Amino acid sequence: MPDIATALPKPAMDAHPPTRLARLRYLEPSNLLWILLVLVLLFLVAVPIGKLLVVSFEKQGSGEFTFANYLTAYGRARYLDALVNSLILGTASALLSAVFAVPMAWAVSRTDVPGKGVIWGMVMGAFIIPPYLGAVGWILLAGPNSGVLNQAWRWVSGAETPIVNVYSFTGLAVVIALHSFPLIFIFVKAALDLISSEMEDAANILGAGTLTATRRVTLPLVWPSILGGIIVVFLETIALFGTPAMIGIPARINVVTTQLWQFFEYPVRVEVAAAYAMPLLLITVGIILAQKLLLARKGYVSQTGKGGERRQIRLGTWRWPVFAYCGFVGALAVVMPVAVLLQASFAKAWGRGLSWSNFTVDNYTYLLFRHEMALTSIWNTLWFSAAAATLAVVIAVLVAYIVARRLVPFGSALGFLAMAPFVIPGIVMAIGFYAAYAAPPLALYGTALIIILAFTARFLPIAFANSAAAMRAVHPEMEEASRILGGGRLLTIRRITAPLIQRSLLGGWLIVFIVASRELSSAVFLVGPRTRTMSVLLYDLSEAGNFEVLSAFGGLLLAITLVFVVIGMKLAGRDFMLRRN
Amino acid sequence: MQKIGRRGLLASAAIVAGSGGAHAQRLPSHEQQLYEAAKREGEVTWYSGQLSAESSEAVGKAFGERYPGLRVNVVRSTSQVAFQRLSQDMRAGVAQCDVFSSTDYSHSALLKRQGRLLQFRPENAAGLLPFVKEAADPDNFFHVFYIGVHLIARHKVQVAEADAPRSWTDLTNSRWREKLAVGHPGYSGAIGAWAVLMRKMYGWDYFKALEKNRPQIGRSSIDPVTVLNAGERSVGVAVPSASALLSMSRGNPLELIYPIDGTVVVPSPSCIQKNAPHPNAAKLFMEYATSAEYFQVTRRTFGESLRADVPPPEGAKPLDQVKVITPTPEDIETGVPEVKESWRDTFGV
Repeated sequence: MPDIATALPKPAMDAHPPTRLARLRYLEPSNLLWILLVLVLLFLVAVPIGKLLVVSFEKQGSGEFTFANYLTAYGRARYLDALVNSLILGTASALLSAVFAVPMAWAVSRTDVPGKGVIWGMVMGAFIIPPYLGAVGWILLAGPNSGVLNQAWRWVSGAETPIVNVYSFTGLAVVIALHSFPLIFIFVKAALDLISSEMEDAANILGAGTLTATRRVTLPLVWPSILGGIIVVFLETIALFGTPAMIGIPARINVVTTQLWQFFEYPVRVEVAAAYAMPLLLITVGIILAQKLLLARKGYVSQTGKGGERRQIRLGTWRWPVFAYCGFVGALAVVMPVAVLLQASFAKAWGRGLSWSNFTVDNYTYLLFRHEMALTSIWNTLWFSAAAATLAVVIAVLVAYIVARRLVPFGSALGFLAMAPFVIPGIVMAIGFYAAYAAPPLALYGTALIIILAFTARFLPIAFANSAAAMRAVHPEMEEASRILGGGRLLTIRRITAPLIQRSLLGGWLIVFIVASRELSSAVFLVGPRTRTMSVLLYDLSEAGNFEVLSAFGGLLLAITLVFVVIGMKLAGRDFMLRRN
Repeated sequence: MQKIGRRGLLASAAIVAGSGGAHAQRLPSHEQQLYEAAKREGEVTWYSGQLSAESSEAVGKAFGERYPGLRVNVVRSTSQVAFQRLSQDMRAGVAQCDVFSSTDYSHSALLKRQGRLLQFRPENAAGLLPFVKEAADPDNFFHVFYIGVHLIARHKVQVAEADAPRSWTDLTNSRWREKLAVGHPGYSGAIGAWAVLMRKMYGWDYFKALEKNRPQIGRSSIDPVTVLNAGERSVGVAVPSASALLSMSRGNPLELIYPIDGTVVVPSPSCIQKNAPHPNAAKLFMEYATSAEYFQVTRRTFGESLRADVPPPEGAKPLDQVKVITPTPEDIETGVPEVKESWRDTFGV
């Protein structure tokens, strides 16, 4: 017995290690990938925000626990005013954006409005113009005395007082809305496209006219999309830095971002900035929860198993007024600002107007040949954005694949992490990156890497939403066929899945590339002397208000963006930027 | 043979002289030594809030032409933003800046106290005017090769000479309501210095009165020049003479006003960081910036000459002919942080 007893466990103990090894052999590469992705997402998203939270309770220098940062951050009426201003500004801009976007989305999606291509182009234009460039355009248009619009108004009416003033709260809100409304347009149009005409028909049969049917049936059905769009614009607005700096300072409006900037003045008070940013995070989380509550109580199903017919509403005599409204918004958002920017970029002094004696190409030659940083910053912008777009799409598609195919338990946690930066204002993210990675041991401050990583994290949600949609469109049966025939997971992805989603991913890559190439608020705290991007250089140039050179630089930025938009349209379809599957 | 040789030499000398520095000139030996060492470093990073962006770029380009193989990373912003960037570097423990130039005297003084500066005396500084030599650090941790000259500018068409304000106090008159443009002490070091002087002379009530006139507030002290050119406002407050003169030379209808209660002159120090990644290039840049060549370049964009061997820029009044007011280093060190806060309380931004 004792012999057996000692003999028996022995082989078992010998057998143990091989079993474990054998189990490792069954471990799919996707599990390792899962672990790797968790680490990457923690690094990109969780650590910077976690660090921000920790730092907000730390005493500068010693790192002791303290509430003092919160007292400093909210201990002055001026600082609180800035927070209130941001909240009001965000709300105003978001509602205005909805006023601009919803009728346009309805017209393009549901009606026979003429010139849909033109409207489309306007929305696209408003989307690709960086907000701070739009702000410069509107300073030139609506400066109370020198603005083109006010000069024209005085000339026509003989009045003394200006008709529009960009340096006001309204001016700031309108300028921001004019460059944010495409977000709501994209959301709402995608939702409207799915509603079949039968719902409207039912309303018509019961005696409702087009207007009533639209108001009572169509728009309520897309309410979740409108609300979603409004929230996105709100979040983008409170995180905006360039426009408030350019318009808000002369208008004497201090907002959260310009206040955060002040906390970075000497001595750099990251701790106070972090404390100041925390309520902002709470507010955004609160808004997302409120949205869930608002939408939870009703059903918004417009897509059912039955095929629905989608007919365009005949507007009749209303065709042209509706087109005029879309054209009006397009003129405000794109045509007018771009026209004055171009004029200023070729002017010796923009206030002197259009004349040969005022024409010069010197602003462009200065930037291209006599400016040490301009070309470098263009190059930086291109490769940082390309690297960030590539990283974001690679991470996003892997996460989307794991989530969609349910390869691992808790896969949806990955999806949640990938979407989290969506609710974190860009400037807060940048401060998180600064707090977490600027100093040793990583010492990434001033390197290209920290900017690329910040851009990747910031725009990961866009890439993820895009990849997830692409993945949903691919039925697993095609992959299963490959697996049955003996193909491994990775081979299947390479040969079957990847070619199927290639085009959507390219679209996603380009969107991230374009939004990254104009990103200011998350870059402004992270750049070093050699890693300045076009947006940061443009911001530096804007300090001295030299609008001619500023406009020329904006012209270069737009020209480069347009090249990539055209490439995108060729490769990924005409509507790649405005599609939301 | 010898004759031809000499003629050839003369001809080549003429070509070198005629090409205006496109080729490397013979450098003085102290510069040559630094140049040899700096060539291995290749570049120098210059955080500057002094000259305008355009002038700074011109200096960077001229430096690269005088010392082939070297380039200047010009990081131009307002002085407070430049110092903010340097502070971010320091806090992150990353050395990126070689030469730091600002219009706020306290920046260099503070860096010196914290032991963050490199001691160096450029030999070319011997040729600077006595008053700037005196403004430099006696221990040679920082030097002055820029002075800001800040005064009033008017739009010639909108404000006739007879109606023009003549002093800083005139600007509080209600006739200038919604006519004034000014920079911001939270960004511009020179506006900080100006505000400190105004507070010293007239008390903070001066700014409360000024606020009633609703001046348009930009960031840089240069901003009002563009605002005036555009016709947005008609009187620029505490604008730098160089930027205004440059703008006038390009046909913009501006006119300088030297206030009777004093033109603000701000001696603005520059320093080399102890942890400078390119110390030799930084020293060479310091030599360059105190040399006659530098002032020849900045003179083209109407910068003040601080050497007797370079004449003052055209169109500017020599400073010995006008009343000049200058803040003391103590004024700046204690005053600027205070006026920044008061400004934000009074003006809201």
